[in-house]
Amino acid sequence: MTESTVILALVVITALGFDFTNGFHDTANAMATSIATNALRPKVAVALSGLLNLVGAFLSVEVALTVTNAVVKIQNSDGTPKESLTAHGGEALLIIVLAGLVGGIIWNLLTWLLGLPSSSSHALFGGLIGASIAGLGWAGVNWNGNGSKLDGVVGKVILPAIMSPVIAGVIAAVGTWLIYKVVTGVAQRFTDNGFRWGQIGSASLVSLAHGTNDAQKTMGVITLALIATGDWTDTKNIPFWVKVSCALAIALGTYLGGWRIIRTLGKGLVEIAPPQGMAAESASAAVILASSHLGFALSTTHVATGSILGSGVGKPGAQVRWRVAGRMISAWLITLPAAAIVGAVMWFIGDLVGGLGGAIVIFALLVAAAVYMYLRSRREPVGHHNVNDEWEDAPAQERVPASAGSAS
Amino acid sequence: MHNLGFALDGAWRVLLAGLLLGAGLPVLFALGIRSLAWADAGGVARPAGRTLGYGLFAVVILGVLLGITFIVATGFGKALSFEHIYPTIVPKH
Repeated sequence: MTESTVILALVVITALGFDFTNGFHDTANAMATSIATNALRPKVAVALSGLLNLVGAFLSVEVALTVTNAVVKIQNSDGTPKESLTAHGGEALLIIVLAGLVGGIIWNLLTWLLGLPSSSSHALFGGLIGASIAGLGWAGVNWNGNGSKLDGVVGKVILPAIMSPVIAGVIAAVGTWLIYKVVTGVAQRFTDNGFRWGQIGSASLVSLAHGTNDAQKTMGVITLALIATGDWTDTKNIPFWVKVSCALAIALGTYLGGWRIIRTLGKGLVEIAPPQGMAAESASAAVILASSHLGFALSTTHVATGSILGSGVGKPGAQVRWRVAGRMISAWLITLPAAAIVGAVMWFIGDLVGGLGGAIVIFALLVAAAVYMYLRSRREPVGHHNVNDEWEDAPAQERVPASAGSAS
Repeated sequence: MHNLGFALDGAWRVLLAGLLLGAGLPVLFALGIRSLAWADAGGVARPAGRTLGYGLFAVVILGVLLGITFIVATGFGKALSFEHIYPTIVPKH
């Protein structure tokens, strides 16, 4: 086994790890509303969403090999890696991808620990951008595209991130307002059952769309790494085992359920009633599908959050917790730069140590950070049993005096 | 700032399609629920309300099927075209 094969194996494992965090980070986008309104029991909701993500991931037959081209310049337009990065078994490219993935995962885990629904695609892109700046300089990043279409960091990441939650919010607000107009005075036994099915249907659509969109990104990254080391040459297809493992990773992640984030989205922003849940998920589904039809890249997380906020604005007399929304929006703003910084630092560490040793050190740092954040999360666990508990505004901030030696 | 132009162009299309499908279909669904409730209200059976209600649900289900077709078609490298008003599956250009 050569050095680059071992690094490749680390890249593949890390990429699948990212896919897994992508799954549990985004369960909330589809299922938070159905769980909050009791349209589905929590366990059933995550199982349904996981299954649909699995199906969705297998549906993405079309190759997503050029996924990194939107933000960084490590690939040619046909999907093959840049020649300058493929010397020594593609080590230069592998380290950039590995550092970028680690940046994405660490940010995903941290926001999960804080219960903040930040965008997994921003985390991935941020990590890759940071690692590319570190490895290739500022010119390694595709900032603004070439002017022929919506492209680059500005066109594919920043502008959609500003616009998509607003669009989704407007649609959900209009939908919610109209639905409440239509059903005023209708007996509850009709509305409850009807909207329950409406919610399940629309949430399922969001899950399916998520599986097709997001699993593809990881498949593209893994295949890129395989091409860089010369283990795969076909730029028109993805190895079958890559597709199967990515589909399973995202589905398992979804099934595990990011309960902390589900809680914030389902209970923290707005007290959601069944008609709002249906309006929010329908708006999300419509915006996600319409945008991918028009080639307008966006993040499922931003859309889902915008929709839920909109459903709170549209319901007469509903309370929206703008403080929670504000925290969330600040997390969105720093997701890309924060993941980029982690990605860049990882690249520098990897480069300092060099070669296989560098890759192993980065990977070990990732494992250590993941274990720490997992243990930290066990202090105040959130799971299917308490995901729907009453939301308490402004939890007590004062800390219990730290006992000697305990880190906080 | 060519990107801003492209993004705004995409944004209003998404908003329009979203309002039509993402808000329009749920409202039809709500109207369907209202019709069913009306059909049963006050002890008088109103078959027209029932028919209207299920008719509206059928329209919503067609909309959802369109969405699923789109997801599947995109996954297989095809696109949905609305060139002939009714949707057809065409190869992606």
